Amino acid sequence: MNGHDAMLEDVAVYALGALPREQARAVREHLASCAECAAEYRRLKPAVDAVAYSAEACPDAASGAVVPNPRLKTRIMDEVRRSVPTRLSNVGEMRAVRPIVWPAYAVAAACLAVALITTAFNISLNEELHQTEAQVAQLGTHAKMLTRQVAAQNTELVDLTSSDSQHYAVEDGEVVRHGNRLYIAMDSMGTPPRGKVYQAWIMRKGAAKMTPSVTFMPDRKGIAVIHVPTQASQVAEVAVSMEPEGGSKQPTSKPTFIVKLT
Amino acid sequence: MSRVRTRDAAAFESLYDAYHRLVYGIAFRIVGEAAVAEDVTQTVFLKLWSAPERFDGGNFGGWIARVARNQALDIVRRKSHSETELSEAMPDSDLLEERVFSEIDAAQVRRAIAQLPAEQREPIELGFFGGITHAEIARRTGTPLGTIKTRIRTGLGKLRSALEGTVAV
Ligand SMILES: [Zn+2]
Repeated sequence: MNGHDAMLEDVAVYALGALPREQARAVREHLASCAECAAEYRRLKPAVDAVAYSAEACPDAASGAVVPNPRLKTRIMDEVRRSVPTRLSNVGEMRAVRPIVWPAYAVAAACLAVALITTAFNISLNEELHQTEAQVAQLGTHAKMLTRQVAAQNTELVDLTSSDSQHYAVEDGEVVRHGNRLYIAMDSMGTPPRGKVYQAWIMRKGAAKMTPSVTFMPDRKGIAVIHVPTQASQVAEVAVSMEPEGGSKQPTSKPTFIVKLT
Repeated sequence: MSRVRTRDAAAFESLYDAYHRLVYGIAFRIVGEAAVAEDVTQTVFLKLWSAPERFDGGNFGGWIARVARNQALDIVRRKSHSETELSEAMPDSDLLEERVFSEIDAAQVRRAIAQLPAEQREPIELGFFGGITHAEIARRTGTPLGTIKTRIRTGLGKLRSALEGTVAV
């Protein structure tokens, strides 16, 4: 075996990630200048990727690694969603600009609608919101423009902040009506105990009993923005109570608020 | 992936759905404990979320597999305090790598690996999942270093051919 064959073998070991640091560096430098070794590396590297893939966890447990607990995803996605506003607030230009005085829930909604909105109705809005975020970040425009643009593309925020919206103050937040759309926007709700959620209720005009609506959870700061999927014109009262997970057919606890829409 | 760069949580979620079993599986194989493997998985994905620019193109699966391996080996190394000589962490960025296999199926790869002679399979798996150097593999298996190198190269070459025969390239 000549010297270069030995090098080709080192390339294989390097591709596997099993060389000590000094030797790995030597191989890396050699790869940059030797076409034959670079070709060998390219040939073998996908085999190493394949070795990695052989460990992929699968439900049949053939790999020995069962699939991870689904709670792991919840943990990670919670973290991801919580981190969105933090990142946005790091945009350099934002520091120089006086913050627009919006209710905390509206600012939070502008930054991370994804986490807060539980109804399917809003999912397409989130897409637009995030695209806008990206565009705005790229343009490097300041915070005022960011919030304005985001708001302009997001029906919900327009509804929440529009001057012709009706706002009904409730404890820890407000109910907002804009045209025929209805929202519950909370700023500082307590976290429900384990196994409990908040549930919205509506009293339809002329009805004698509350009708169950969506269930939801505030984020860690107690913020929640909920679209109530009923035409506002049909609703006489809105209430929220704490209920067991999955919701109830009738309120089982004293409502945290009831508000009449006038 | 480009949508994750724009901090799109929904896009991130679909990447998670597609790759979390790979990341978790590699971590589990290396650390051997479900709870630790979950921590590794969480760290890998949160790093991806906070610094998506670390992935600079190419084969995403291969990249995230390397990141998962490095992260899991880090933990094993921190715990072990052993004198064992350890291999170098794989570079995150690998400009030489081409995207060769468009789809890698774990079950298919496991079959291909199972078909390798044990004398080739063992050093490959020890090197990749054990994070030890070729010299350490030689010592543990009582095999001369030169032989180990040859077996690694031959085994990887066979694996490459076996996958080429069955996988879309
Ligand atoms: Zn060479």
